[in-house]
Amino acid sequence: MSFNIEFTGEFVAFFSLAVCAIVGAVMALNFTKVVHMALSLAFTFIALAGLFVVLEAEFVAFVQVLLYVGAITILMIFGIMMTKHQGEGQEPSRPLLETLGAIGCLALLGILIFAIRDANFPADSAPLPLDTTREIGKLLFTQMAVPFELVSVLLTVAFIGAVALAKREEDPQ
Amino acid sequence: MTFAQYAWLVPLFPVAAFAVLITLGRGAGRQAAWIGTLASLVSLILSLCIAGERLSGTVDEYNAHFTWLQIGNYSLNAGFDVTNLTSLMLVVVTLVSFLVNLYSHGYMRDDERITTFFAYVALFTASMLGLVLSDNLLTLYIFWELVGVCSFLLVGFWFQKPEAKAAAKKAFIVTRIGDLGLLIALLLLFWYMPGNALDFSSIHNVFTTEAGVIAGGITTLIALLIFLGAVGKSGQFPLHVWLPDAMEGPTPISALIHAATMVAAGVFLVARTFVIFQASDAAMTTVAVIGGFTAIFAATIGLAQNDIKRILAYSTVSQLGYMMLALGVGSVSAAMFHLFTHAFFKALLFLGAGSVIHAVHTQDIREMGGVGRNMKITAWTFGIGALALSGIPPFAGFWSKDAILTAALTHQPLLFWVGAVTAFLTALYMARLFFMVFAGNPRGEAHAHESPAIMTLPLIVLAVLAVVAGFVETPFNGWFGEWVTGEKPEAHTSAMVIVVSVAVSLLGVYLGWLIYAKGTVRRDIVSSRIPGLVKVLENKYYIDELYRFILVKPLGGLGKALAVFDEYVVDGVVRMAGQSAAGLGRLNARLQSGQLQGYALTALIGLVIIALAIAGRRFW
Amino acid sequence: MNMLASYLTLAAVLFCIGLYGVIVKRNAIIVLLSIELMLNAVNLNLVAFSKYGVQPSLTGQLFSLFTMTVAAAEAAVGVAILVAIYRARASVNVDEFDELRR
Repeated sequence: MSFNIEFTGEFVAFFSLAVCAIVGAVMALNFTKVVHMALSLAFTFIALAGLFVVLEAEFVAFVQVLLYVGAITILMIFGIMMTKHQGEGQEPSRPLLETLGAIGCLALLGILIFAIRDANFPADSAPLPLDTTREIGKLLFTQMAVPFELVSVLLTVAFIGAVALAKREEDPQ
Repeated sequence: MTFAQYAWLVPLFPVAAFAVLITLGRGAGRQAAWIGTLASLVSLILSLCIAGERLSGTVDEYNAHFTWLQIGNYSLNAGFDVTNLTSLMLVVVTLVSFLVNLYSHGYMRDDERITTFFAYVALFTASMLGLVLSDNLLTLYIFWELVGVCSFLLVGFWFQKPEAKAAAKKAFIVTRIGDLGLLIALLLLFWYMPGNALDFSSIHNVFTTEAGVIAGGITTLIALLIFLGAVGKSGQFPLHVWLPDAMEGPTPISALIHAATMVAAGVFLVARTFVIFQASDAAMTTVAVIGGFTAIFAATIGLAQNDIKRILAYSTVSQLGYMMLALGVGSVSAAMFHLFTHAFFKALLFLGAGSVIHAVHTQDIREMGGVGRNMKITAWTFGIGALALSGIPPFAGFWSKDAILTAALTHQPLLFWVGAVTAFLTALYMARLFFMVFAGNPRGEAHAHESPAIMTLPLIVLAVLAVVAGFVETPFNGWFGEWVTGEKPEAHTSAMVIVVSVAVSLLGVYLGWLIYAKGTVRRDIVSSRIPGLVKVLENKYYIDELYRFILVKPLGGLGKALAVFDEYVVDGVVRMAGQSAAGLGRLNARLQSGQLQGYALTALIGLVIIALAIAGRRFW
Repeated sequence: MNMLASYLTLAAVLFCIGLYGVIVKRNAIIVLLSIELMLNAVNLNLVAFSKYGVQPSLTGQLFSLFTMTVAAAEAAVGVAILVAIYRARASVNVDEFDELRR
């Protein structure tokens, strides 16, 4: 691996945000309390939003904060609140599963990094339009109108389904 | 339009009858059996039309075929031939089949599986007609096996009797030996024939006009293998052992299959492929010698048997030997002529015997006697059949036997004397049979009574045919032989043959009358002097015992050894395979724990392995 | 080494951490959150390609938006199922859910 890295502003931003994201993710797996885990992952999501900004994807970054941090994490915390979490941390460990899982994940990571290193990416090319948010809006309502509508239908169906699933069933008596 | 174009319909009616009867099954009631009879009547009428058309002599031989299989450049045809020979066989088969059908309505009246019986008979008739009509050896072979199956089914029709079961198996297995020979002959022909043709016209062309295309040794081999098939089907020595045992089947079946039609298929096969035999002197000699030997051999056994049907069975074997003898000395016309007359009088004899058995409920001639007094029609018709078989002029058997003896005298004088001695023995055992059954005083308890009209009617028809069928060819009129073979018969009126054959036949009948009716000569005249000979004859020369000792026992031992091998080695392997699969399944069932994360982990490991396998390919 | 590879490597690391969480963690809520993390790693890839790819365009960003929507739907249904199961079993431990075996 070559280390002739230019310390551009982008690199510095990427590096610090990447460290934040990885630390958040690793911490999330290390905490024992579920709420801590959720909050730690929220931290990772925010770091990712920052990375999106670095990647000139301001709208995606905005949605990321809104959706992941604002909606999904909160949803999960609601889920945590609605269920009991007694006896966390002292549950019996599953050594076989954990070892195999670790080996498998590391192997996959190795393969992925190998593939990334091996791949031949083109040099930086044409820049994106400046006002990406406007362009995304245009695309969403012209070229991507049908997928957009389909996704909204999907969301509606999913939420109705979620309500139906989580609703307490009526007592037959 | 000619009737010959519709010859394919002839076997189709019995097939339809078979399909209907077997579908209706046992619930159909007795009247349903008339469907089979009706079908054979329609076939008979059509056959008569075809034969009548051929008799007029104005139409050419007709052949129609279609491409059955196309394999590369080779196309396999299936079709039918209408020639004088096949139309003759059509009439014989359908006529006997129809009469036996009629007769069976009386004979099988009290059997609860009567519809099944008629279904089998219809299937047999159809197969036999198919065999006769086939224009190539392969389809002939298929029908050949089909008649074998029908014979098996019908011999074993009363499968509750262990003897019938054993006889059915024996008939099937012994004829299979011959069938194997025929199959090998067929493969050899397929291999060596130009263009792999198997149809009779190509075979005829190759062996007559293009002599030398197939080497002499191969020709002999093919001919002998075909003859092996014929030996099996026609009950020739040494494969004759199944035919007498096959008499365990219902008597109408003995008349139809084991006297008139199926056993004649061997003779028909040799006649149909006669050009191959003609191309090989060795094969011809073999056919003649086997035929002659079988004729005299079976006749001597027939002298000492006591079962009415077995006597007739050995007589059939002997007469088929005659036909083979005729073929072996090169006279197809004499063989077919004897086949033609024999079909009628032997069917008549069997049906008559069935009528007697029906009346007295035994098959042992020592327990019969005086039956003729109460069964006038049966006695008269049986007598006519016996005279025809004995070769007494002017009955049918005389003329055909005369034709064979004449041919034998011209070509193989030694075989002529064999034939003459056989004729004497034939007359003697028929006289013995007739006088012991119909003359004298009753020896058993059963009171004989005449059979119903539906059984006597076929007897009368066949008796008439047994009288007149011989006049189609007499020494003074060679019309039949010319019609069947298409060749001018040899001028063969030989006074000596006629004199010898009539003399030996009359002598045989007279001697039989003296011994068994009049009693002037004591019955034990032979057995008291040479008891060993009679014992040997009664035990059929111990052929069955010999086969049991040299073939059945070692094969049975081999089978047992293989069974042990199968039990412990083959089954062991199979069991091991089964248990290893079950063990693997148990192992896998533990993976199927319902643990979602276990599944995810398995999927991940699988993905890693696949990725490594794909990436790894780059390195070697 | 250009920036794209760095982003992809980061995404791979996050993806594998998420995967490990999915496989190892017992609490169903954490499993769901890990899945979200994996989806987010994919999003990072998409956005990175939209800037540094062979043909930079907004399609990658659009795609990541759709992914987020689907992720939201998935999270909602997942939590709903979780609540329903919890009601029946009084537990949120994934290893106690072995209904698949039946």
